[in-house]
Amino acid sequence: MSTETTHARVTGRPVLSERRSVSQRSQFAGLYARELLRTFRNPWVLVITFVQPFMWLAFFGSSFSGASPALVQQIFHTNSYIAFLLPGVLATSMLTVGMFGSMSTIQDKRFGFMKRILLTPTTKSTVYLSKVLGSTSRGLIQIPVMILAAALFGVTFQGDPIMWAGWILGIFFLGLGMSSFFLAVTASSTDWQTPGVLSNFITMPLMFASGALLPLANFPAWMQAIASVNPVSFSALLGRGIVVFGTVDWSYLGYLTLFAVGMLVVGTAVASRYLKAE
Amino acid sequence: MTDNAIVTENLTKVYGKLTAVDHVTLNVASGTVFGLLGPNGAGKTTMIKLLTGLTDMTEGDATVAGFNVRRDPMHVKQRIGWVASEVILDDDFTAWENLWLQSKLQSLPDWKDRAGDLLEYFGLKDRRKDRVKTFSTGMRKKLEIALALLHQPEVVFMDEPTIGLDANTRRMLWDLITGVNKEFGITVLLTSHYIEEADALCDQISIIDHGKIVASGTPTALKARVRSDFVELETSEAVDEAQLRSIPGVSEVRSQGKGWILRVSAAEEVLPKIFSTLKTDAIRRINVEKPSLETVFLDITGKRIDQAGADVPDYRKFYATMRRARQ
Repeated sequence: MSTETTHARVTGRPVLSERRSVSQRSQFAGLYARELLRTFRNPWVLVITFVQPFMWLAFFGSSFSGASPALVQQIFHTNSYIAFLLPGVLATSMLTVGMFGSMSTIQDKRFGFMKRILLTPTTKSTVYLSKVLGSTSRGLIQIPVMILAAALFGVTFQGDPIMWAGWILGIFFLGLGMSSFFLAVTASSTDWQTPGVLSNFITMPLMFASGALLPLANFPAWMQAIASVNPVSFSALLGRGIVVFGTVDWSYLGYLTLFAVGMLVVGTAVASRYLKAE
Repeated sequence: MTDNAIVTENLTKVYGKLTAVDHVTLNVASGTVFGLLGPNGAGKTTMIKLLTGLTDMTEGDATVAGFNVRRDPMHVKQRIGWVASEVILDDDFTAWENLWLQSKLQSLPDWKDRAGDLLEYFGLKDRRKDRVKTFSTGMRKKLEIALALLHQPEVVFMDEPTIGLDANTRRMLWDLITGVNKEFGITVLLTSHYIEEADALCDQISIIDHGKIVASGTPTALKARVRSDFVELETSEAVDEAQLRSIPGVSEVRSQGKGWILRVSAAEEVLPKIFSTLKTDAIRRINVEKPSLETVFLDITGKRIDQAGADVPDYRKFYATMRRARQ
């Protein structure tokens, strides 16, 4: 191409002479793809994503390896604590995905990129939703790795493909809800510490006051009350029924759907109002 | 496109007790380079935030590229480009990927040809597949301007685009800004606290101080307003203000730091009288300023532009420096 041709094409008059509709599909697709690309280009994220499930199962899953099979059967109603643990670990891993979304948002604010985004016809809710889906997708990467790790530890799985699809959908909804919550709470923050502090604050009570790691039957009444409204419990119990016993209680998926939709609606409203450019 | 690319009426922004922009009324003609000149903290960046819809106006109204900023912010954003004071790109992305993302954010279905042409125009075509973090500052600035032009905007806002750049890169950027305006026919609103930059680039200038427009006009017209020269004087011994005022040809005396600023009718006539009035060896430094935008600012505000905002820390410059240091 000659220099003149390039010059003529580059300096052509604006083609935008009238109102052009402002759809958000393109913006959402671009921002979501950016989140995924940034995740996959960070070697540390990938290494930790793949190593962490093995560590969970190796360290936590081995905590009952010295116990007699009868005792394990009596407590967990299965002879494999790792099988019992797997759905719970996947549920608790979704507690932290929102933290990464929040950190990514704060990074964009501090380095000015949020200004670059919001100076284009992109709404704050589009930015918010792309971050929510981006961080949830990042969490989902762990599911196949964790299942593979459990299989390598000798776990045999129950359930049919429809049940498994429902379980994975439940984990996805849990991730959506938690990401929505995190990103809404930190919408106006520019402090790096906020997502970490928030994560520390909510992760422990939600993880332990749930049926993710231990059976609910032995909990005191007040912890059982918390667990009965804790979405981490819903996801863990839904998965455990399928993976360990080959049974499914679809009401858990219903609760998780309501949790995700509720958090998304509230979070989108909050972000539309409070998401800051810097 | 309308005759005026930017129109504001009593545009005001109040942050708590601080009035950052105070009833600013402006008309920026289409196809011109318009300069907002003022010290750090004068309200230049807030003006850009208001005109781009990045922050809500407290009072007043603004129209950019024919669309009301308050009522139609999305249509304004389809028609504007933005170049930041510090380079803002996705460092983990290649030049081409940055352009791709910008095309998505602007909902451009056919962008590849134009993106390729822009890379060629700015001499970046060979580096299109390289990650931006490997680029020099000048290349990053060029890419940022390419991003701002990808969707063929009618108005480009440049917020102190040359801050923190070395002299060569600054000159290169001046040429690019002139090119954006003259060859692309795009209206450019440029903020700066560099006098020579505004003088070299702008067709029209408004001087902003403490959120208010204190003077507007072409650089030539503004300079013509000041019919005096200024003499900056620093002495090693205390000098009586009345003594300075008594010198023939001195019309005004202002103290500035450890020295004085004298407004004089014609420096070449008054200088010998200054030397004869004061002891020559008591004069530590003497500086003559002929009419310039600097003297216009001095005349209107009583301060030099680089001293007027001395109390306001330049955080953007600091962050830009830190970012470069990390690379």
